[in-house]
Amino acid sequence: MRLRTREMYFLVPGLLLGILGLAAAASARTDTLQVGPWQTSLGVAMVFVVMHAVLRLRAPFSDPYLVPIMAALTGIGLAELYRIDPALAGEQALWMTLGGIVFCAIIVFLPDHRVLERYRYVIGLTAVGLLVATMVFGTTVNGSRLWISVGGSQRVQLGELAKVLVVIFLAGYLREKREVLAIPTERRFGMNLPAFRHMAPILLFWGLALVVVVALNDFGTALLFFGVFLAMLYLATGRALYVGLGMGMFVAGSLFIWATVPRIAVRVGSWLNPFGDAQGNGYQMVQSLYALADGGLVGPGFGRALLVTPGGTPRIPELQTDFIFSAVADDLGFVGSVGVMLLFILFMARGFAIATAARDGFSKLLAGGLTAVVGLQAFIIIGGIVRLVPLTGVTLPFMSYGGSSVVVNFGIVAILLIISQRSRQGLIDAVHGAPAT
Amino acid sequence: MNRSIKSLYLALVAGFGVLILMLGYWQVIAAGGLDERADNPYHFEKQRLVDRGRIISADKVVLAESIAYRQKGNRYYRRYYPQGALAAQVVGYATPQQGSTGLEQQYNQYLAGSYGAGAILDKLRAEQKVGADIRLTLDTRVQKTAEALIARSRGAVVVIDPRTGQVLALASSPTFDLNQVASDFATIRKRSGAPLVNRATQGRYPPGSTFKVVTATAALNSGKWNPSSIFNDTGKYVVDGQTIRNDGGTKFGVHNFTDALTFSINTAFAQVGKRLGPSRLGGEMTKFGFGRPVEIDLPSDEVAVSGRYRNGKLLSNTQRDEDAARIAIGQENLLVTPLQMAMVAGAVANGGRMQRPYLVKRVITKDGVVVKQQNPETLDSVSSAYVSSEVARMMQNVVREGTGTKAGLSGLSVAGKTGTAETGDPNRNQAWFIGFAPADNPKVAVAVVIEDTSGTGGQVAAPIAGAVMRTALSATPVQGEPQP
Repeated sequence: MRLRTREMYFLVPGLLLGILGLAAAASARTDTLQVGPWQTSLGVAMVFVVMHAVLRLRAPFSDPYLVPIMAALTGIGLAELYRIDPALAGEQALWMTLGGIVFCAIIVFLPDHRVLERYRYVIGLTAVGLLVATMVFGTTVNGSRLWISVGGSQRVQLGELAKVLVVIFLAGYLREKREVLAIPTERRFGMNLPAFRHMAPILLFWGLALVVVVALNDFGTALLFFGVFLAMLYLATGRALYVGLGMGMFVAGSLFIWATVPRIAVRVGSWLNPFGDAQGNGYQMVQSLYALADGGLVGPGFGRALLVTPGGTPRIPELQTDFIFSAVADDLGFVGSVGVMLLFILFMARGFAIATAARDGFSKLLAGGLTAVVGLQAFIIIGGIVRLVPLTGVTLPFMSYGGSSVVVNFGIVAILLIISQRSRQGLIDAVHGAPAT
Repeated sequence: MNRSIKSLYLALVAGFGVLILMLGYWQVIAAGGLDERADNPYHFEKQRLVDRGRIISADKVVLAESIAYRQKGNRYYRRYYPQGALAAQVVGYATPQQGSTGLEQQYNQYLAGSYGAGAILDKLRAEQKVGADIRLTLDTRVQKTAEALIARSRGAVVVIDPRTGQVLALASSPTFDLNQVASDFATIRKRSGAPLVNRATQGRYPPGSTFKVVTATAALNSGKWNPSSIFNDTGKYVVDGQTIRNDGGTKFGVHNFTDALTFSINTAFAQVGKRLGPSRLGGEMTKFGFGRPVEIDLPSDEVAVSGRYRNGKLLSNTQRDEDAARIAIGQENLLVTPLQMAMVAGAVANGGRMQRPYLVKRVITKDGVVVKQQNPETLDSVSSAYVSSEVARMMQNVVREGTGTKAGLSGLSVAGKTGTAETGDPNRNQAWFIGFAPADNPKVAVAVVIEDTSGTGGQVAAPIAGAVMRTALSATPVQGEPQP
């Protein structure tokens, strides 16, 4: 079966999941059978059909599973947003249209991702610039400084874009330095380490991550950046020691900040014991745990849990963004929320398969890094919800409400598919001879 | 590099595995405990989704029901109390904001339909829960009479069937409209006289001379006295340097034990108490149920313990070095609930056997399946049938010619005992009457207390008791199904 035909066969049930989810959520609102917001359903389906068509034309050999997985995740997310507030689903559908346009633009205008390697330092500096801009001009929302206002009430989360740029930069940088980093030349503290001048960037990054924690007041973003850095460092060098050292340093640094910055100490306190201050700092966490408990094993179904008060206010603050997973867990129960996690695992399986199939170091690092960034981000926010790590303000990829997040994640998938297309195209060219250009 | 890619993938999958385990903990293992937490809004919110069972009186009057309505597309149920304030403290309320009280709380699992194995199956099938109805022993005809008679004062009336322990009425004044709880709870709370308190079960009053029924039973149980035992009243009795006088300073001269109860002669009962001693009298009190919570089907925090209190703390019944002479006439820090005193009267009426009081006869589903059936249960024997019949005859004399004549009913023999607990302010007496009827074949026992009155128990409480007992005795069973 041709790859794109296979993609179509998987895309149909993936889209149906969201369309039926929207219908179920709409039916739950009235207790009668409803088709739901058919314009939204149709619009989103059209976006994916167009993306599929563009792939048929421009990247026919790319991985056929990523887009259906993305469709399923965005569909469930859209249904949950609709049940929180129908207006949110409408806006999210617009963001997804924009995401689709960006997706198609990347597929069409970036036929070879390897050009990115050439501009790695420009891209890296841009990422730093975006983060610094956020720190300086950022608007504080919910205690975290992650947004930049761009006129009116519109805000852009530059961190979302920065994370992709960082991955591109790291892919280029680590491809260049991987040999010197992988081969230890000095022995210090009983460990075989590379020369300090090669270690410096690691230490710099570590420091930067901690600065982000304090300045942006956002542990999640710092953890994500640092986690992705360690993951890519590991991919490049194959040395688990670096990951261990890096994580140790991050934990040590975090502990230091916890001990010295009172504001962070309060957040950690409400992580360790949310019930101690259930009406104050622990409120969000406690309400979310109640939602998880309410969902139980199977949950009542799309739109049927009591996530929103009769007045229309979500019981959990930030339900549509940081806590969209709690909404899934409540409506669909343990079974449904595990299903969503399995979709993320499938996404990672495909992303890492693309990385494995890629034929040059930069492509491997880029695909691996982009996959890791999505997987880690999902891990961090879900980990916050189940209280494995302190609660953070990162979005759940493909599902949380928000334009920056949606557009960037669609872009990530587009780049992954380009990498996939290039490696298979290369294979075909190698067998059949390169076409004349 | 492909090896590291695989390792990274496996590490992330392992991380998600941990997430799945922890999520399972919160959603399945810890879920029950979280659901029960007092500040969990879901707990109450879910109650609004339940078609709660009805609360139906013995005479087939619906006291509480659930009415469906739609809001933002969801079907919710609103609790409605067709009788408004009738038996408000007994029925209780169940609201998300104010929590729940009374039978609404006590029988919540049945009313909310979360009993038996069906509840778990319903949860799995995500089906709507339907509550079961509860059928009361309480009769609204008796309840209405009682409430009407005490409406303008503060006080309580308890009416029980002494043969079974079935509670026929449990009135407390002032009261409140149950339908107002959801809409305007603040107003109810601000109202004077604590309308939310169920005085019949929670009110603690000095029993005054009604306690002499306990002393009389104890005296006859001891075998040292009988109804004809002779006493000589000089108008005062000195014990431990303190003088006990009769009400109004009356001197009764030579009289027997029956006269002592009939005219509530303090000196005679103080002598009896002194001779019985604190441990013997305390032991008799224990048999009557003093000193421990009454086992009635109401929330335990809505039932007060009758007994002797010092600084708000319950004392043991049989504490040594106590002034048994004053206990015998209902003084010495004795505080009792009207429910407890109705049970005292009921035990005497029922041949010395005290029945466990209960409000709910059966729990029955909407399809007519009986989920729970309450049968009469004997708690304790306070005396032999012979002794109780002697005490009953003495109490009959109280109503025939003594302090309780106003409780008398034409064509019926009534037994009873009055009590007037004085507070120093002559306008703030607590007036009591306990009794039962018909005296020779008791079918109804009663306790009445009126707070802050200038009258005596015989003047104020006895007529109420008489009228309530008349209603209870004339109330015929109602057949058929409750009218919605």
